[in-house]
Amino acid sequence: MEEELWRVGGIVLRAPLARQTRRDLLYCCVSVLAGVLGFVVVVALLAFGLTVSASVLGTVVGLLLITLTLRLSRRLGSLHRRLSNRLLGQHVEAPQRFQPGTGVLGRLDRRLRDRAAWRGIWYSLVKLPVAFAQFYALVLVVCGLIDLSYPVVWVLYRHGNPAPLRMLQPLPFGGSPSIHSWVGSYFAALVGVVCVVAGTWLARGINAGDRVLVRNLLGPTSMAERVSELERTRTLAVEDSAAALRRVERDLHDGAQMRLAALAMNLGMAREKLDDQDDATVRELIDAAHRNAVDALADLRDLARGIHPPVLDSGLASALDSLAASSAIPASVTADLGQRPAPAIETIAYFCAAELIANATKHSYANQITIKISTERAGVLRLEVADDGVGGADAARGSGLAGLVQRVSTVDGRVDLSSPPGGPTLVTVVLPMKA
Amino acid sequence: MRVVIAEDAALLREGLTRLLEDRGHTICAAVSDGDALLAVVAEHRPDVAVVDIRMPPTHTDEGLRAALKLRHDFPGTGVLVFSQYIETSYSAQLLEGGAAGVGYLLKDRVANVAEFSAALQRVADGGTALDPEVVSQLFRASRQRGGLATLTPRERQVLALMAEGRSNAGIAAELVVSGGAVEKHVASIFTKLGLPPDESDNRRVLAVLRYLGGKPQLQDG
Repeated sequence: MEEELWRVGGIVLRAPLARQTRRDLLYCCVSVLAGVLGFVVVVALLAFGLTVSASVLGTVVGLLLITLTLRLSRRLGSLHRRLSNRLLGQHVEAPQRFQPGTGVLGRLDRRLRDRAAWRGIWYSLVKLPVAFAQFYALVLVVCGLIDLSYPVVWVLYRHGNPAPLRMLQPLPFGGSPSIHSWVGSYFAALVGVVCVVAGTWLARGINAGDRVLVRNLLGPTSMAERVSELERTRTLAVEDSAAALRRVERDLHDGAQMRLAALAMNLGMAREKLDDQDDATVRELIDAAHRNAVDALADLRDLARGIHPPVLDSGLASALDSLAASSAIPASVTADLGQRPAPAIETIAYFCAAELIANATKHSYANQITIKISTERAGVLRLEVADDGVGGADAARGSGLAGLVQRVSTVDGRVDLSSPPGGPTLVTVVLPMKA
Repeated sequence: MRVVIAEDAALLREGLTRLLEDRGHTICAAVSDGDALLAVVAEHRPDVAVVDIRMPPTHTDEGLRAALKLRHDFPGTGVLVFSQYIETSYSAQLLEGGAAGVGYLLKDRVANVAEFSAALQRVADGGTALDPEVVSQLFRASRQRGGLATLTPRERQVLALMAEGRSNAGIAAELVVSGGAVEKHVASIFTKLGLPPDESDNRRVLAVLRYLGGKPQLQDG
């Protein structure tokens, strides 16, 4: 019990010396200035705008003033947010960007409906009492520091001056007590310590409150966050499918189309040679044409499998079985699927597994790969690919894993990677059962 | 005839080499990218260069750019450009410097060895060889419906073959008619469409293409 008291007391008293305190106090300083200024400007403009627009003649001017205030509020909000991020160590993101409308009425409408700007105005209004508290904290600390210096001042002061020294004290009542002796100066110093500690803790407390305000009023709303996340993953999905189509076109052009052109050429030449009775050359040309045809078929088969493997139609478990069978490193599959996931999810899971097996084969020097697929709980599909190799897999290095993560995120899935150097590696892909 | 081949797919490069050597032509060099093509043409000065449009490094239009440079730097060498697809803007660019010694064919055309050979010969001799597919696209896209409607079916065939760059003799052989019949058709076409009659086959090609819609100006063939 006593030890606890000493510990807590130590923390309380040592607070003023911490680095965070200096940042807190600096924030209080800047925040008071910005807050008071912001409050005054916003209130003035808003009040003026509202009263003017209340009268028929001044409606246009009033509305303009209000929209001006809203624009200002966004700028102010951004300033406050940046200050808070830098000095208080927060990471609040900007709310969604403002999209201007078209036409005079449209633009007015969008400006007046700018939720982020109105929330910024609320912040500016609430900031006033907060700024007062921050100012008071600063006053406490300054008073305390001055009082702390009194023992020294007393000694210097006494030399030429018989009058008593007045002590600064932070309470708004009670006046300034005077000091008559060196005992009093030490008492002043003690009061100084108390003031500094109190000021520090008040600054911390009020800044914590300010942080909450900034996060709630100056950051993005959760709906807006969701929308921007969806926009981001939609872009990924669209780019992914465009890239896939380009790959298909390239594979067709360089593979099957080329082989079929060579085949046509060989047959054309063979037909010419038939008239010359040059059987040996004709046979040779037809053999070459035949080889071209067989190779073209193989290319087209591989291409089709890369687009949609036919084996997937019989279910994810058998598709994974065939992947495991054709893997260079021995692989085993454990499947525990209650119901079939949506076809799009099956396709994503299959290609994830194929990519992970290929990675393991290329980089892991493993002896065994284990693949597990299960329905974790209702509506969630879980794919685990583990190998006993050298580990060290990194999503940042090489685009295979990064592409996999992106593809999975487009359906709100998740990829967890555990691959310490030395192994073993375990990659877990969690997907919803329906896309 | 001395030929240079530029094609990045080894299978096709060897096939073309064999096909042309079979016909008695000499392959001075077979290369697989645009820079090498320019180097070997400068070195060997062949009669014609066969160029694939898609070549490394970007596999978009290196061949076309090399072909345009060849046309500019070595006017004595015919250029026959091959493509997997017909891209009408490419044919327009190729014809910008005139229609002499230039050809644009689909790769599918190599399946018919005789036609390909004839086209190559035309280009080497300073004529024109446009793929029939290019020509039929031009016909379809042409805004001169009214003018083309005044032609008889036979005359439209002759017009298409003229646009491909064939001479009267070539048209006569293709349609299995006499040279005189071809001349009569040609004169009738030129009158009906209001085109200036011209001796040179190259100018004729340009006139027809210009008529069909938005093709480059006449220049000295």
